Amino acid sequence: MESILLKDKVRGLEGYFAAGGYKPLKKALALKPAEIIEEVKKSGLRGRGGAGFPTGLKWSFIPKDAEGPRYLVCNADEGEPGTFKDRELILKNPHALIEGMAIAGYAIGAAHGYIYIRGEFTAEAALLETAIADARAKGFIGRNILGSGFNFELFVHRGAGAYICGEETALLESLEGFKGQPRLKPPFPAVKGLFGSPTVINNVETLAAVPAIMERGGAWYAVIGAGKSAGTKLFCVSGPVNKPGVYELPLGVPLRDLLEKSCGGLKAGKKLKAVIPGGSSTPVLTAAEALAVNLDYESLTAAGSMLGSGAVIVIDESQCMVKLLQVLARFYHHESCGQCTPCREGCGWIEKLLNRLEDGRGTVKDIDTLYSVADGMMGRTICPLADAMAMPVMSFVKKFRSEFEAHAAGRCCPSEAPGKH
Amino acid sequence: MPKLTIDGKTIEVAKGATLLEAAQQLGVYIPRYCYHPKLSVSGNCRMCMVEVKKAPKLVTACSTEAAEGMIVRTDTENVKNARRDVLEFLLINHPLDCPICDQAGECGLQDYYMEYSRAKSRFPQEEKVRRGKRRAVGPHLMLDNERCVLCTRCVRFCSEVTKTSELEVMERADHSYIDLKEGRALDNGYSLNIADICPVGAFTSRDFRFKQRVWFLKKTPTVCLGCATGCLTEVHHNENTVHRIVPRPNAETNTWLCDHGRMAYRAVQAGDRLAKGVIKNGLIDLEPALREVASRIDENHASAAVLGSPWLSVEDNAALARLAADALKTENFCFDFKAEQGIKDGILINQDPAPNTAGAALIRAGRGGLTLEEFARRVADGRIKVIVTEARAAAFIKDAVKAAGARLIVFATNKAEIPAGAYATLPYACYFETPGTFVNYQGLKRRAAPAVEAREGVKPLWAMVNKLAVYSGTSLRLDCAEDALKGIEF
Repeated sequence: MESILLKDKVRGLEGYFAAGGYKPLKKALALKPAEIIEEVKKSGLRGRGGAGFPTGLKWSFIPKDAEGPRYLVCNADEGEPGTFKDRELILKNPHALIEGMAIAGYAIGAAHGYIYIRGEFTAEAALLETAIADARAKGFIGRNILGSGFNFELFVHRGAGAYICGEETALLESLEGFKGQPRLKPPFPAVKGLFGSPTVINNVETLAAVPAIMERGGAWYAVIGAGKSAGTKLFCVSGPVNKPGVYELPLGVPLRDLLEKSCGGLKAGKKLKAVIPGGSSTPVLTAAEALAVNLDYESLTAAGSMLGSGAVIVIDESQCMVKLLQVLARFYHHESCGQCTPCREGCGWIEKLLNRLEDGRGTVKDIDTLYSVADGMMGRTICPLADAMAMPVMSFVKKFRSEFEAHAAGRCCPSEAPGKH
Repeated sequence: MPKLTIDGKTIEVAKGATLLEAAQQLGVYIPRYCYHPKLSVSGNCRMCMVEVKKAPKLVTACSTEAAEGMIVRTDTENVKNARRDVLEFLLINHPLDCPICDQAGECGLQDYYMEYSRAKSRFPQEEKVRRGKRRAVGPHLMLDNERCVLCTRCVRFCSEVTKTSELEVMERADHSYIDLKEGRALDNGYSLNIADICPVGAFTSRDFRFKQRVWFLKKTPTVCLGCATGCLTEVHHNENTVHRIVPRPNAETNTWLCDHGRMAYRAVQAGDRLAKGVIKNGLIDLEPALREVASRIDENHASAAVLGSPWLSVEDNAALARLAADALKTENFCFDFKAEQGIKDGILINQDPAPNTAGAALIRAGRGGLTLEEFARRVADGRIKVIVTEARAAAFIKDAVKAAGARLIVFATNKAEIPAGAYATLPYACYFETPGTFVNYQGLKRRAAPAVEAREGVKPLWAMVNKLAVYSGTSLRLDCAEDALKGIEF
């Protein structure tokens, strides 16, 4: 299967041209914006940031009669533990993103686009700046693009290191210069987003898929993948596999194939225990569940988890689930924005409970408390960060309770020597 | 006009009304911390979550707009669990120092815990997040970060009402805390409202702290006399001592109260409070003082005059008008005070610092009298030699009195009010101790009600006027404050 996003030798403008780059933009500019949105709808492209919302539909939510500016924002604040696909995509194929944004901007009537990139991505931000300058020099960005009369300015904005700014409304707050905290919805960004204007926010991977859809048609893209999960997806695999990394595969690929064919299987002597299939916030799957599941939105939902960002975290038998969850809890405790009561207080409480269990001070009662604290956070906050903490906690405790009980009984997990990590 | 059902009761509400507002109209109380009717909706405390039929999750009543046909429940197990969970989350890192907390008795955590939770703590004391304790953050406020529930009412108050934005939430997660922005202090003139709207003991009034447990306080509704705005207030007092003043929110005038108005009560109990007369600089018992004043008036009968005061109630001004017309039998009296009226800071404080300029105008309308300019002219040219007035009103004719060396006889409540060069001062009961009517800048008549009793021997001004008239040989027959009002359109 050919790659649509991760291609070689397209980083520079020359290579991108050679691969047919910026032809889709020219094609798009000859169409009416509504026709582009229709084409994207037809393609079945869904948001690759984690929620999987249909992209064409999202674009069509921009009110047609709204006065004033509209904005296009690219969410490149890739911070979910285990996720490193957008970074790879930007490094390999920055012009696909830039071209995708120009097309999307034209489709929604935006004259300004922002790429909100994670602060730590210094090299990627610099690369994007260069790529945008190159594109501008050739007239793909700026005033009167390719003589069409369409103006589109593109800016790179670097974040300041908060995970929460990956949440789209917190991202907007941050982009406006405020403390990054999610906004109450409604109003949704499509109605009242950046600077109070209608705004579309898309993930890097989503936008980068747009040029190919323009070039080859929505119908072509829709056939790739599995049913409602159309197209290809970047999967970033981490853990004890032979070849961890980012792989572009059609949606619906069996998780087993990703691990065994693409990643060359687990390292010698390692036995699969569990897989977190879509980034640290998605519920964990046991080895048996993981090896039976296909990687698409519907199959993973049916398996009780989520496709999320496509970050596949592989966990082998030598790893302690309590320790692992403790690491996650420390992350979410640190990154909770502190706005909503359940998340602000709950994340810290969860970390403390896990610290007790890890240090051998925990009791069986603490395990039940752990579960019920997570349950009390679930679905009760402005943004999904509380859920992102609660889901792994609940699934870890449910599926690997014996390891938690071993900790509560003063031992470490069965797979390890007693009292040691 | 969407029609919806809350707990089985149907109501039609205005478009844009939230579920919380709709429930309020139905008399269904939904607990809340961050919601405040006069501040923007923040939705962060998650206490007001309710169940909406067909919605996948609980929704916050404060932020969800009522829609046609919505079926809302506030009494399901799911809602009760959510409230209990939020209270548990709020309390895990709370210091539980209620015995030494001034908020105890009017605390949102205490009240809701008793109403909605009563669960035992599952959190070990030693793992609580510690934050800063009592710290002065301005002339009137103390901040205890450990008690804070981070509802951000204070932050929003400073950015939306006073527009001074002194406060911000610092840090993230459970290490978040409210703090002043660098180099700032909470001295915006309305800071004590923050102590009121803070649902817990995080912000407390430095003035009120440790003076009184709130459950001992008795409450008297009255009006603020700090300026012509005439905010409705409530005086909190116990055992004949005033402890604090809080606003009585109303649609016409005020939700809030300025710090100046709140501190006005301090004069009532101040050390310089007058219970006796003053002749020149010497304190003297009331009866000899009255005799002395009466004889000074009598010896200059033809040139004695009365100047009313915009700081006095309509009734007391009316009594002064009677003194002029029926005891002194002079035309030399004046109830003519002009002052620019209107809110000067966009919030509450009036351009006119006197509370009853409009009330004095009613006396002038009913009794006539000189203009203030004419009155001052007559003082300056010696036609008026003795003036009976109220201490602060004497400032209106200060220059003329000084130039002509006229004798000033003033009524005052506190020694600090006495104008320089006053010949005699007579004490009277202030409006925390005696009733009175005031007319604010909007023309609204508002009643000051007594919260405490005046010190022994200290009488309302109208009664002092009555006595003074008797001493100079006339009876005004004033038996109550209203007796002087006859003939005044009121």
